[in-house]
Amino acid sequence: MSGSVILETRNLTKAFGGLLALDKVDLSLQAGKITAIIGPNGAGKTTLFNLITGVYPVSGGEIYFQGGLLNNVPAHKRASMGIVRTFQQVHLFGNMTVLENVMSGRHPRSSYGFWEAALRLPKARREEESISLNAIKYLNLVGLGTYAEQDALSLPLGQQKLLAIARAMATDPRLILLDEPGAGLNTLEKRQLSDLIRNIREMGISVILVEHDMPLVMGLAEWVIVLDSGQKIAEGTAAQVQKDQKVIAAYLGEDVE
Amino acid sequence: MLAWLKSKWAYLAISALLALVILVPFDWFLGRYTTLMIFIGIYTIVTVGLCLLMGYTGQVSLGQAAFFGMGAYVSAILSKTYGVNPWLAMLIAAVMTGAFAYIIGYPIFRLKGNYLAMATLGLGLIMWILFRELSYFTGGPDGMSGIPYLSMGGFIFNTPFKRYFLVWFFCLAVLLISQNIVRSRTGRALRAIHGSEAASESIGINVDQFKVKILVLSAVYASLAGSLFVHHLRFVSPQPFDFLASVKLVVMAVIGGLASVWGAIFGAGATRILSDEILLRFGQWDIVIYGLILVLVMIFMPGGLFVKLKELFERLRLRYRQRGVEH
Amino acid sequence: MSTAQFVQYLVSGVTQGSIYALIGLGFTMIYAVTRIINFAQGEFVMLGGMLSFTLAHSLGLPLAPALIISILVASLVGAGMYVLAIRPAKNASVVSLIIITIGAAIFIRGLAGVLWGVDAVRPPVFTGSNSISFLGAYIHPQALWIIGTTVVVTIIVHLFLSYTMVGKALKACAINPVASSLVGINPRTMALIAFVLAAAVGGIGGVVMAPLTLTAYNVGIMLGLKGFVAAAIGGFKSPLAAVFGGLLLGIVESFAVAANWGPFTSAYKDAIALIVLMLILLVRSGKLAEEERAG
Repeated sequence: MSGSVILETRNLTKAFGGLLALDKVDLSLQAGKITAIIGPNGAGKTTLFNLITGVYPVSGGEIYFQGGLLNNVPAHKRASMGIVRTFQQVHLFGNMTVLENVMSGRHPRSSYGFWEAALRLPKARREEESISLNAIKYLNLVGLGTYAEQDALSLPLGQQKLLAIARAMATDPRLILLDEPGAGLNTLEKRQLSDLIRNIREMGISVILVEHDMPLVMGLAEWVIVLDSGQKIAEGTAAQVQKDQKVIAAYLGEDVE
Repeated sequence: MLAWLKSKWAYLAISALLALVILVPFDWFLGRYTTLMIFIGIYTIVTVGLCLLMGYTGQVSLGQAAFFGMGAYVSAILSKTYGVNPWLAMLIAAVMTGAFAYIIGYPIFRLKGNYLAMATLGLGLIMWILFRELSYFTGGPDGMSGIPYLSMGGFIFNTPFKRYFLVWFFCLAVLLISQNIVRSRTGRALRAIHGSEAASESIGINVDQFKVKILVLSAVYASLAGSLFVHHLRFVSPQPFDFLASVKLVVMAVIGGLASVWGAIFGAGATRILSDEILLRFGQWDIVIYGLILVLVMIFMPGGLFVKLKELFERLRLRYRQRGVEH
Repeated sequence: MSTAQFVQYLVSGVTQGSIYALIGLGFTMIYAVTRIINFAQGEFVMLGGMLSFTLAHSLGLPLAPALIISILVASLVGAGMYVLAIRPAKNASVVSLIIITIGAAIFIRGLAGVLWGVDAVRPPVFTGSNSISFLGAYIHPQALWIIGTTVVVTIIVHLFLSYTMVGKALKACAINPVASSLVGINPRTMALIAFVLAAAVGGIGGVVMAPLTLTAYNVGIMLGLKGFVAAAIGGFKSPLAAVFGGLLLGIVESFAVAANWGPFTSAYKDAIALIVLMLILLVRSGKLAEEERAG
């Protein structure tokens, strides 16, 4: 399993009208590893995520997932293929409890439909059992087990982000994309997040993360890709990338936050 | 909300409701309100569909009366003019209405917010005009009468008493089915869509397909209600399916609480009692007061009357529990 | 079709279309500034006509003051509607706001029904009823008043929005409410002004139309719908486009009935506006789908 390529892009391009957000990007990501994508604001990192998850259609080039072409697969089919993501704005389901959010994540791994639900057939009841148990398992994985019955939005931001990860994990992914999971977290929460991400990797799941917090990224990532203005300008281990002249120039060019 | 439902209070409430429903049409109880209750039952069926559509997926429909009317007219025309068995006619009406909803569903849901509202408004009005103008089939603005009763074997539903139980059988069945759907994977998917369409897509929910499915479901419910409506009145005309009717349906859904299934009874009931019993006594002033009530309810209780009452109930229950702990 | 007939239908279409244009103007002003679709827009038109009847005919006031008072009262109703029904609703959802404006419309209509009864009424014409001959067609003088008033109002509104401080503030609020609030433009004041202006324009439409087409307590619904379609043609953003839309709709209606082709008998005349509306929405939904696909 390790040593194989889980995600590959060739000449990947995305244009919004006249604006070129991604410009012929070639990537080859190893399975079972934690890969970080960094770069100054506007580099195209979230656009890349949106292309991989199917939120936007590709303007040019190809994306391959586990060898298969991903380009025209509709967004909602990608979860059952094994690709899932979290959002910068979290996007929890505010009208549900913590547990129900994670149970929603079991959607692609369950199958009973309208009629079984409407008439409460045995198949529905059995699958609901299994959905519940799985959801509790993933809730415990992120450490939110005791909050199961609370309203999802009653949690503080750090825990909301963990909940979003639990929901994504419930889809039993092969590849999970985390969009700025550390934003807005304090030091303790970031440490818990790092541990969680490492746990996920231990489970054999490939992780891609977009992050601005350098210490967090450098401590976690086994491979780093640097984007700037829609192009890949460097890649390598954390140590290699930190010393790369082009990377330093790109970051110095942007305002200190 | 799940916790509330599992509590014994919920079972008590539902048992009380069931007892009430069964006892109402008897003369020694609330028999003189049987006809009112028939209408409440019929409108509850439409309202549940609307609650699911508006409350669970966050879409809006200002033309729901179109589906209601389609069910009514197809049932009426097939059973009166063409002598089709009324039950079969009812089934055909539901299939036709559902198919119509399916066809318009995908294109219409590409619109959002105000534009979606206007599209549903437009469709509702077009259907109403068709009901009014296709007089060869529909009897025009004066409608058509002589629609047969529903019957099972030799048993004919020819008294309000009998039709009451028929209507409420369907009503309770629809409520139970809807309750099951809401508490299932499908219900979670619907709520997810309302919460965040983007996140829903990312966990594998086909948002467009679900929206259309729920539209079709709400259309089928409305059609069923429409069929029951004409087999009760034995008469059909375009008047109960105009724009104001669609507005009233939305009001019923809102008062009942958009994210509530059982609240639909309350919403339909409160609205019907208001317009049939209370406002009647004000003569010409009835629609003035109706407009005023609409505005006030939407300003102060946009979540619905039923939900407000549930909140109050919860607060009382917590206070009751706290007192128990203190002792 | 002879020239005379053509001109007749054209004039009739432009006349009717002018009313739709004014109503569409009102819709657009409110929507652009507040993002609310005001279902009571047609009721302002109705009020203008009904009030001018009471003042000019029943109470025998001279024409000019009667018209001015009618328009002022309609504007006050618009202000009242905003202050009493819209502003208290704060962060209401799209559905809630729609129902609120519908409720307000029902309230106003009901009140009109109580005060004036259900019969149609006709206020006195402005300058007599002797038809003017033009290219073989006959034009009622009131029709000229309608068309002329629409032109004048359109020009005034355009100048107001482009060259006065208040007008420019309104425009700014319509384009970007957040940014304009940051530079000191109060969105609630702007909303109030939008409602008052829309009601005034509606009232003007009402007073100028009623002597020709009669009016009654329930004309607001259909007029409102047609004015809405006019605004929709204009994309709800441009007052000038709404005026164009109204005129277009009026002309299309007129010639569709004239052609007497298939389903377009006068019973279906109202349906034309709806069909136009659905076409616009269809086109819009098609464009949205295209955007999604092209990314």
